[in-house]
Amino acid sequence: MESSTKTAQLKAAHALVSALEADNEELIQQQISLLSQAQESELFHEVGKLTRELHESLNSFNLDSRLVDLTENAMPNTRERLNYVITTTEDAAHKTLGYIDETLPLASSLKETAEKIDESWHRFRMREMNATEFRELSKDIEAYLPLVKQHSDQIHINLTDMMMAQGFQDLTGQVIRQVITLVEEVENNLVRLVKVSGKHLEHKKEDKIVDPIKAEGPQINAENNPNVVNNQDEVDDLLSSLGF
Amino acid sequence: MKILIVDDFSTMRRIIKNLLRELGFNNTVEADDGLTALPILQAGGIDFLVTDWNMPGMQGIDLLKAVRADAKLASLPVLMVTAETKREQIMVAAQAGVNGYVVKPFTAGTLKDKIDKIFERLDAK
Repeated sequence: MESSTKTAQLKAAHALVSALEADNEELIQQQISLLSQAQESELFHEVGKLTRELHESLNSFNLDSRLVDLTENAMPNTRERLNYVITTTEDAAHKTLGYIDETLPLASSLKETAEKIDESWHRFRMREMNATEFRELSKDIEAYLPLVKQHSDQIHINLTDMMMAQGFQDLTGQVIRQVITLVEEVENNLVRLVKVSGKHLEHKKEDKIVDPIKAEGPQINAENNPNVVNNQDEVDDLLSSLGF
Repeated sequence: MKILIVDDFSTMRRIIKNLLRELGFNNTVEADDGLTALPILQAGGIDFLVTDWNMPGMQGIDLLKAVRADAKLASLPVLMVTAETKREQIMVAAQAGVNGYVVKPFTAGTLKDKIDKIFERLDAK
């Protein structure tokens, strides 16, 4: 109890005793009400303090539960997402390298045969070629031209597939953005935690509204989620069930 | 036939642009989200819209709704090419009037198939 309150109460108590001795009814009532008023205001003060403490504890509890959620769910989920980035980029890199491995020999074989024919053709133009050799050259050219078309077609297909394999960047980019958002949230929570421990908590209540069609980017573990389609066929089935 | 490709990732825009060129569509323009796409569409001359869903600024689903709400654009064919695979999202897109829905990662064949189907249906009308 503060000393000024104590002095006031002591003063009121003395005055009460004096009033009782003097048998002054009016003064007695006045001093009793003064004493009880002081007690009431002390009680209100205590209740106020308790309420404030409870409020702060509840707020820091809310913060703690979000932190628990972050460590229990968001962090493992983020690990999964980052692993998804690794496997997706790895897959794309292997695919691209595979197409390059397939394509280089096609280009090389075209070049080698072209060089060989070029050399023979040069000898033919210089009249250094006999009839047997010329028949051989004609056969080579006849075999080479369809091969050029065939290999060019294959190279074209491989290059298109290589281009398609670059689509990973869009998917991994989305996942990485989500991880950045999470890191920002963890940072903000840590800042708030520091503020709470310093008793300077800002009261900020955010209502969480669940949006069922909120964009989430590529689904991780889609196989285990019945609310998610796994491939284009399932999309087509769903749309045709809707009358598309 | 002028096609607008909307995706926030330039690699994906490039892939779609190249695939469309392979299919014989040489006239394409690009935008990186709904907010930049809408003025291009409103300026006129776009015959076909290919859009992603998840983009900063204005998302694809909101772009689709804005297109359908605009009297001048309401009948524009819209193909959604997206990584969003929740059943609810696909249903909402269908209700909003999407003409085709392709999920990423997709193949050249799927894109061709869906574009062909959209034009078949439009021709049948």
